[in-house]
Amino acid sequence: MIKNSNTKLKDGIAGGLIYLSATITVAILIVIIGFVLYKGLPGINLKFLTRMWDDVTTVVDVNRNNVTGNNTEAGYVESLGISIALEDEAVVIKSIDNDSPVKDAVNVKKVPYALKKGDVIGKAGSTNFKNITLEEAKLALNEGTGPIKMKVTRPGGGIVPMLVSTIYIIGLTLIIAAPIGICAAIYLNEYAKPGKTLNIIRFAIQNLAGIPSIIYGLFGMLVFVQGFKMSYSILAGSFTLSIMLLPTIISTTEETLKEVPRTYRESSMGLGATKLQTISKIIIPSALPGILVAIILSIGRIVGESAALIWTAGTIAQIPKTLVGSEAAAATLTTKMYWLIKETADLEQASSIAVVLIVLVIALNILSKFITRRFLKKRTS
Amino acid sequence: MNNANKEKIVAKRQKDYKEKVFHFIFLVSALVSVLSVIAIIVFVFSKGLKPFFGEGAYSFFDFITGLKWDPGNDVYGIFYMIVGSVLATLGAIVLGVPIGLLTAVFIAEIAPKKIVAIIRPAIELLAGIPSVIYGAFGLGVIVQLIKKVSPTGQGESLLAVICVLAIMILPTIITLSESSLRAVPKSYREASYGLGASKIQTIFKTVVPAAKSGILSATVLGIGRAIGETMAVMMIAGNNIGGLPNSIWSKIRPLTSNISMEMSYASGRHQDMLFATGVVLFIFILVINTVLIRLTGKMGDEGSKK
Repeated sequence: MIKNSNTKLKDGIAGGLIYLSATITVAILIVIIGFVLYKGLPGINLKFLTRMWDDVTTVVDVNRNNVTGNNTEAGYVESLGISIALEDEAVVIKSIDNDSPVKDAVNVKKVPYALKKGDVIGKAGSTNFKNITLEEAKLALNEGTGPIKMKVTRPGGGIVPMLVSTIYIIGLTLIIAAPIGICAAIYLNEYAKPGKTLNIIRFAIQNLAGIPSIIYGLFGMLVFVQGFKMSYSILAGSFTLSIMLLPTIISTTEETLKEVPRTYRESSMGLGATKLQTISKIIIPSALPGILVAIILSIGRIVGESAALIWTAGTIAQIPKTLVGSEAAAATLTTKMYWLIKETADLEQASSIAVVLIVLVIALNILSKFITRRFLKKRTS
Repeated sequence: MNNANKEKIVAKRQKDYKEKVFHFIFLVSALVSVLSVIAIIVFVFSKGLKPFFGEGAYSFFDFITGLKWDPGNDVYGIFYMIVGSVLATLGAIVLGVPIGLLTAVFIAEIAPKKIVAIIRPAIELLAGIPSVIYGAFGLGVIVQLIKKVSPTGQGESLLAVICVLAIMILPTIITLSESSLRAVPKSYREASYGLGASKIQTIFKTVVPAAKSGILSATVLGIGRAIGETMAVMMIAGNNIGGLPNSIWSKIRPLTSNISMEMSYASGRHQDMLFATGVVLFIFILVINTVLIRLTGKMGDEGSKK
């Protein structure tokens, strides 16, 4: 009897600990997401999602309309077809007419640079707009006729460059890594015979999977950034990530290849198809959803990666214009978030990026679930 | 007739040729992984070992046993970093493995399907959160909490690193333990129940021991994750320039954060020394990988025997 109640007590404690652990796990997730939302959500707005990161100041030439002088609406500059207003002592463009000449503005190099709503005018003609009143600004903009030179600042504070860079790096990395990874998986599952070569390849893949990303970062910096003189660039970053992602792509693809029933291969070969034909016409099409899941998993890793990218792609917030060189340096959302915390200790803005990241991660998770589920359904039915 | 035959032979040859070319392409793709591993080892090691050879070489002994990191005065000691990394990893395992294992038990053995349907995506999400976000969370929450109770009055500490690493290895521990618990044959449980054991007794006396090797490899994988984690750890470790940690409140400077803290401006020997730190980290990882590969290999053998 005593023994029995003792057992019950032990069972109770152990059961309690199990429930406690599961609760802790879920609570941790809730606290992390809660923290990120609490800190980051106030900073998320349309400007954050649609603007460039840095302020961009440009000098433009605008051909003005002839003024008729009968529109006296406050803040409306008829010669330019725009409305201006004062915000924090700066002259901001509030609206632009459809036929406004500022849409045909050109910069110093004669490249079109259309002004947009929200741009700040810093100077027009010879008038500096610092500490100016709205009337004075209007006068300065309407002064004289014909073309006028304006110094315009487009305010930053948005994550567009990082979003674009992240997409570029995802695309480049997948172009490099997906074919190699898929071909490697095909070799391992369809061609390789048990033996030394196979063992070595498997050993290499397993080791590759265990190497921490900071080591990939060191390697990428040494080989791609310095050795191949790519400097901090999206290409150097993508090469580094490609190697890092090979194990993920290979093992996930291999799993799906294994699931393709043996009878498919046998029927195809029996009909006289060659091995290659069997692979390209039968095996790959039926393994396609699994390959897609492998790619989505890779995208998730790229989105979250920081240590391997900081020393290979840099932390500059710009939209890369080339693959290598100084114009190709690019921060992804994650590396910029790291940079913000380390260099500026701005946890709020970093958390706003974190919100975007978590939304992306959730979306990718749901997508891969969706594909897996449809794929499984097809198989069982 | 003859012509038709010839054409057939030519077509067949072309086919064979194509088959061979693609066979070769597939093989080369598979070998990329091998080449990558070799290249990574060769490049990182050759740069990292450079400062210890040749004229004016730095004593490797001083490097590996040193308790101070002061690049300005040409002093590079990483022993205290090794200790910090090992302690942080151990702590994370001690804290994370029991919680992870018990959560796995809950999912695999106890929870009704509906609850599993909620918890599993939560764990997948936890696994997908970028490490920088864990760092931000550590900095914004855990470090602030520790600051309030720490005798040193500082939040960045060994304890903070342990907490964040324990959280970060949870998904790995849970998923791998869960699948090895599920792999335990039903007959084991039935036999245990038949002998009059309670559910909890069955779990802890039968199922968990049977899943031992899977749980062990989950732990080893967790060790690899913890010791290699960089970004989250760097933000909350304190990164002191010398001295062994003497309590959980002490600042530490893990190997990984040493590398990434100074890489942006290091040059010459300083940069080489950061690679040397990478080499030490790499050796840890290689050992852990080898253990893991042995363990999983063994598991495969056991599985095939069943």
